Amino acid sequence: MGIGSVALATLLHQDQLLAVPKNIPKNPPTFDLVEKPSQFPAQAKAMISLFQHGGPAHMDLTDPKPELTKFHDTDYKEDVQFSFVNRATKKLLGSPWKFSRHGECGTELSELLPHTAEIVDDICLIRSMHTGANGHEVSIRYFHSGIPGVLGRPTLGSWLVYGLGNESQNLPAYMVLTDPGGHPVDSVNNWTNGFMPPLFQGTVLRPKEPRILNLDAPPHLRGELQRQNLDLLDTLNRRHLEQHPGEADLEARIASYELAANMQSAAREALDISQETKATQDLYGLDDDAAREYGTRCLIARRLVERGVRFVQLFHSGQPWDNHSSIATSLPSVCQKTDKPSAALVKDLKQRGLLDSTVVHWGGEIGRLPVTENHGDPKKRGRDHNGQGFSMWVAGGGFRGGMTYGETDEFGHRAVVDKVTPNDYQSTLLHLFGLDPNELFYVHNGQVKEITAGRESRIVSEILHRPPVA
Amino acid sequence: MRVTPSFAALFVICLTSTTPCVLADDLTYEQHIRPIFRQHCFDCHGAEEEKEGQLDLRLVRFMTQGGESGAAFVAGQPDESLLIQRVRVGEMPPGEAKVTAEELATLEKWIADGAKTARPEPESIGPGLGVTPEERAFWSFLPIKRPDIPAFDDEARVRTPIDALLLQEMQPHNLAFSADATQQTLMLRAYFDLTGLPPTPAEAERFLSDSSPEAYEQLIDELLLSPHYGERWGRHWLDIAGYADSEGGTDADAERPWAWRYRDYVVHSFNADKPFDQFIIEQLAGDELAGPQNGDLTDEQIELLTATGFLRTAADGTGSGANNPEGQNQVIADTIKIISTSLLGLSVGCAQCHDHRYDPIPQTDYFAIRATLEPALDWQSWKTPPQRQVSLYTAADHALAAEIEAEAQKVVAERTEKQTQFMAEALAKELGKYEEPLRTELRTAYETPAAERTDEQKALLKEYPSVNISPGVLYQYNQAAADELKKFDAQIAEIQAKKPPHEYLRALVEPANHAPVTKLFHRGDYRSPKFDVEPASLTVTAPENERPIFSADDTELPSTGRRLAFAKWLTNGRHPLVARTIVNRVWLHHFGRGLVGTPSDFGKLGTPPSHPELLDWLADEFMASGWRLSHLHKLIMTSTVYRQSSVKTPPLAELDPENRYYTRKPLIRLEAEALRDRMLATTGRLDRTLFGKPLPIKEDDAGQVIVDENQLRRSLYIQQSRSRPVALMQAFDAPVMQINCEQRQSSTVATQSLMLMNGSFVLAQAGHLAELAESDPDTTLDEQVLASLPDIPLPTSPWQFGYGSYDPDASEAVTFQLIPHWTGSSWQGGAEMPHPEIGWVIANAGGGHPGGGAERAVIRRWISPYSGQLKIAGSLHHPSENGDGVRGRVVSSRAGLAGEWIAQHSTVETPINALDVEVGDTVDFITDCREHETSDSFGWSVTLTLSQDDGSDREWSSESGFHGPSPPEPPPLAQQASRAWKLAYCRPPRQEEMVLAGEFLRDQLNTIDAQQTSLPEGVTPARQAMANLCQALLTSNEFLYID
Repeated sequence: MGIGSVALATLLHQDQLLAVPKNIPKNPPTFDLVEKPSQFPAQAKAMISLFQHGGPAHMDLTDPKPELTKFHDTDYKEDVQFSFVNRATKKLLGSPWKFSRHGECGTELSELLPHTAEIVDDICLIRSMHTGANGHEVSIRYFHSGIPGVLGRPTLGSWLVYGLGNESQNLPAYMVLTDPGGHPVDSVNNWTNGFMPPLFQGTVLRPKEPRILNLDAPPHLRGELQRQNLDLLDTLNRRHLEQHPGEADLEARIASYELAANMQSAAREALDISQETKATQDLYGLDDDAAREYGTRCLIARRLVERGVRFVQLFHSGQPWDNHSSIATSLPSVCQKTDKPSAALVKDLKQRGLLDSTVVHWGGEIGRLPVTENHGDPKKRGRDHNGQGFSMWVAGGGFRGGMTYGETDEFGHRAVVDKVTPNDYQSTLLHLFGLDPNELFYVHNGQVKEITAGRESRIVSEILHRPPVA
Repeated sequence: MRVTPSFAALFVICLTSTTPCVLADDLTYEQHIRPIFRQHCFDCHGAEEEKEGQLDLRLVRFMTQGGESGAAFVAGQPDESLLIQRVRVGEMPPGEAKVTAEELATLEKWIADGAKTARPEPESIGPGLGVTPEERAFWSFLPIKRPDIPAFDDEARVRTPIDALLLQEMQPHNLAFSADATQQTLMLRAYFDLTGLPPTPAEAERFLSDSSPEAYEQLIDELLLSPHYGERWGRHWLDIAGYADSEGGTDADAERPWAWRYRDYVVHSFNADKPFDQFIIEQLAGDELAGPQNGDLTDEQIELLTATGFLRTAADGTGSGANNPEGQNQVIADTIKIISTSLLGLSVGCAQCHDHRYDPIPQTDYFAIRATLEPALDWQSWKTPPQRQVSLYTAADHALAAEIEAEAQKVVAERTEKQTQFMAEALAKELGKYEEPLRTELRTAYETPAAERTDEQKALLKEYPSVNISPGVLYQYNQAAADELKKFDAQIAEIQAKKPPHEYLRALVEPANHAPVTKLFHRGDYRSPKFDVEPASLTVTAPENERPIFSADDTELPSTGRRLAFAKWLTNGRHPLVARTIVNRVWLHHFGRGLVGTPSDFGKLGTPPSHPELLDWLADEFMASGWRLSHLHKLIMTSTVYRQSSVKTPPLAELDPENRYYTRKPLIRLEAEALRDRMLATTGRLDRTLFGKPLPIKEDDAGQVIVDENQLRRSLYIQQSRSRPVALMQAFDAPVMQINCEQRQSSTVATQSLMLMNGSFVLAQAGHLAELAESDPDTTLDEQVLASLPDIPLPTSPWQFGYGSYDPDASEAVTFQLIPHWTGSSWQGGAEMPHPEIGWVIANAGGGHPGGGAERAVIRRWISPYSGQLKIAGSLHHPSENGDGVRGRVVSSRAGLAGEWIAQHSTVETPINALDVEVGDTVDFITDCREHETSDSFGWSVTLTLSQDDGSDREWSSESGFHGPSPPEPPPLAQQASRAWKLAYCRPPRQEEMVLAGEFLRDQLNTIDAQQTSLPEGVTPARQAMANLCQALLTSNEFLYID
């Protein structure tokens, strides 16, 4: 016998399974975007995230604080952590906007969100978000990749696509719709694949041509000329394959050219919003100068999800919700851009029967402070960063509608009841997609990596139609 | 993805294993229980001094003694055992990771069987987990043992011991090597494997025409001497070394300006066939070998210091915003990871926080490695990347620079003098505006140094701000003076620019007399230092009780000598991991997979070697040859296993479908760099210059990171940015460095296809290949082949521009001669006008000018490419207010005069509703001067619409169809296609491929013609069709894969 026979056993029996402790995980041998079964029945199949960079001022939008109004312009007693110390004050700043109850559930929203007010019965408004950090990038990365501030990790879309693949084989699985004004804060890190292969990176759908990089040939080669070219290529490749029968790599390459060609027509079709009725276009605010651009992207997002794209995320240019100054004018303007399209997305998905299987997320990485950021002129006052407590909403895909969850303190400074962290949010999402957050992992450098990086997290059962069985 | 955890694994084992799925009978603590404890329990119950609940699981004896809750188990009675109870209810271990059902069963059975040990337990043990004989017996920690080579009669097929060792494993299964591949295949294999480039046409011809039996071996020898060998294999090393041209670590991802010298060092070392042990030692301890660095660095010192760039590849944000303990310790941790995964085939990173869960690597071992680095990478006296740069300025450079600076200072002095003078003048002029005594008061205030001014003086200067003249605002008082000073500045800058440029090395240089103490960090946290750790090797890599402890401070050296000792220990020939790791990597790059499938994990989480004897033989042979890679390459590449065909024949598909036995050569996709390099080499545009600063990258209009299209050097030299990877490179799996790249993926995804179909780089290369094929057509193409190809009609312009006469009664109604001279925008008789023979005859895009007399009419001739009925729309325009105007006629060769009009100071429509034409018919647009040729410039734009019998319409415009001299007829497209084939595939096209190409070109030309495709400026339809053919070749599998 000797060592030779050991080698033989190895060859015959995939011996690593015998030699290695049994529960040591391995990545799949190859990576692809083929649709994969969830680990248990999924409630959500797709997700559209409307990410609101900058930190929407929750006490002016989603989280009414009568005490804050009552003590307006008096000194706040608690400790506050400021990002801009030079303009910091402790003067409480009551919201200048009125709140009222809406829908059957009676959720209170600010007058800045009249359209969101129409969908309150379909959304779950979480008022107790918490990152613990006030910085933008720190919290952005926490939301996308699971650890505050850490770069180099895959983003939420990467994980979903890695775990579940894509229903559509003609469209990218993870699509990012960027703003015509440019990239958001933290730029391409918002959709990085981190340590996963590039296959799991978000594909940017640009707001102008070329919408998807390299999707189309230059104009003079489009159409028949390229079709003939692909036919020739296919013939060359098939003759080559005849000389190399059964080579899976060569077959896969042939298939990937076919897929690429299909993507051209599929993407063009998906982006063609002229196929939508006037009524639908108007619903998204395409007839409204302020809302048109964001509305167009929300509508495209719906069309993508409808066609089997797993994860779509919309970003703003820079961080429009970072209302340090002149909040009285800057906040209404960004609301006018986003309120109607965001609400339309939920309404439209619902009327098409897609909301049950599609998660819609609306929220930023932080919220804002209850105290005044002083710029001298009272008209210019604003609010500084606050990662201690803020709001976001989720709808569809198994989230309960018509409810609020969690609370901040009486001034909206800190989440105090039913705190939800980005890791909780990530775990809850994975659960809705039929994935166990502890069982979806990727092995990198011999180490098991999960989206929550093993940090403490929980599935927020209270906001789910079908909570996990205890 | 762990779908249903342990059950799936069990199921697989039961299906594929011939051994029944039951637990072994002779369970012992050391072999079966300790690995479970190591993974789940030792963190709290053994590894550390403090044991949770006082329970120590490291010895069975300790378990019997038990902890606070009593004995851990009752021998023979698993149900009564606390250990089992706690594990069953999930109470232990705490946290998410649980003991699997199978592990629990093992624990239960072991207790039920009486909790046996393999041998009597030691009287006493030290702190920590130690390393047991069982752990030491793991394959990769055993000494390298040169196996006996089995003897085979078949000399033709068993060319080397490699073949013998492989065949030994094949024979029980009635398997054998495949037949040798063709010379053509071997040539491409060898070229790409060793240089990453295709042979040039001349090289290919030379090799293929050499039928001597030694030709192949000679080729390998030649390629090993090629400077491109170092570029190719250097790149493999740079992957695992984690090479990057940016610092990473923070968002800023600062540029790393001098890293490229390490890249060049690596390339040079491979090209020099530097013994690999020396290569390792230089990289780990070049600074310690370099001797005292006083005065100018010698070339040898520069090389040795550059080598330590290996220890400076880790991401380092401490110079760009992260100069804090986290950032500093991260650099050290990443550097250790790079060392261990590249040289030890282990990722020791787990042991940073606790004893390794699977491999026998105690946390103390991790910190022992850290202790070897600490004197140079000391987080408590940290240096940022700029502070670590080593200047290459020589004493002569310094002297020359000082000399030049002195010269510059002379001009500076002159300038100062001038400036003082200008300022004084300006002040005097300004003060002149004020009367005394104010004038003197202002002057005094101004001339008093700012700090000494009285409050009154300050107030005064505030009141009269225009007196506050400073050099910065001198221009507002006297522009000419400011301009003159600027000239001085330019002169100073010019002189200073003559200084020798300041260049640096990126190196790790240990300061003299610096031997800090390394502390073990509890849970890897620098804020929890525990006890001192000495520099030493990994315990498990040395025989029991022979673990070398390195001297904390070698008194022979100015530095501590720790890294030098470490490097020498690694390369002493007895280290079990180093040579195995290196030869496995070499095998990986030749065959696309390693003998060990996890090239950076030779531990329990990795896969064991498929051919352990071969791995050991290669490792031993490699060291015996003096650690020469060239020897290893030649040995492997001359073996039958490498030379055999890659074709998966039907029997092989049946018998060895995964090619586990190496019964055929695996097919390999070109890596990203080789793909780009091959394209550039194929079009003949590759710039083969070696070494130097990285090629700049930039964003294109769409925001995609690209290499400038004029940068034609090998991809190795592209700037390696961690945050801005080049899209083409990243798409084809080139690493984007975070720490390092242990093994590249070879992915096949649609984004790659889109890039190959539509990417600007690929399209440009296709155009260049077409250009090359046209300039060098394959004139050797066989006549018979040519004759068998489909007709490829080249589209030609239907327009000609001439002069002549029209006489319906003459035997030839229209005489037509081409106008001889092209000015760049019009046709005329010659450069000088009027032309002695044809006078003022001019034809241009919009019309022209007739010459005098009936024989010198301007004739624009249209030759019909198709049959059908022609409809003509147009207008004849005579703009001048003088003269007798012009006459326009349309005359068809088939039907004669079809229309006649006169325009005089006017515009007339020239419609013709129906004119039947056949292929080759001419339709002439004849303009004459009538009686007088003065003031006869005319405009006559016509549009011809031809309705064909099949109902389709085609259109021609006289304006857009106007052109200068036709380009010379291109060589036959078949000859061009054949050349393109030879360049792209390094072989001539087969007959059926030529037919395919011919049909394709014909279809493309027809389509371009039918669609009237508007091609880019200067591109003819034939060129576009050829470019498209070339694109198919450059993106086909035959181009992308090496078989």
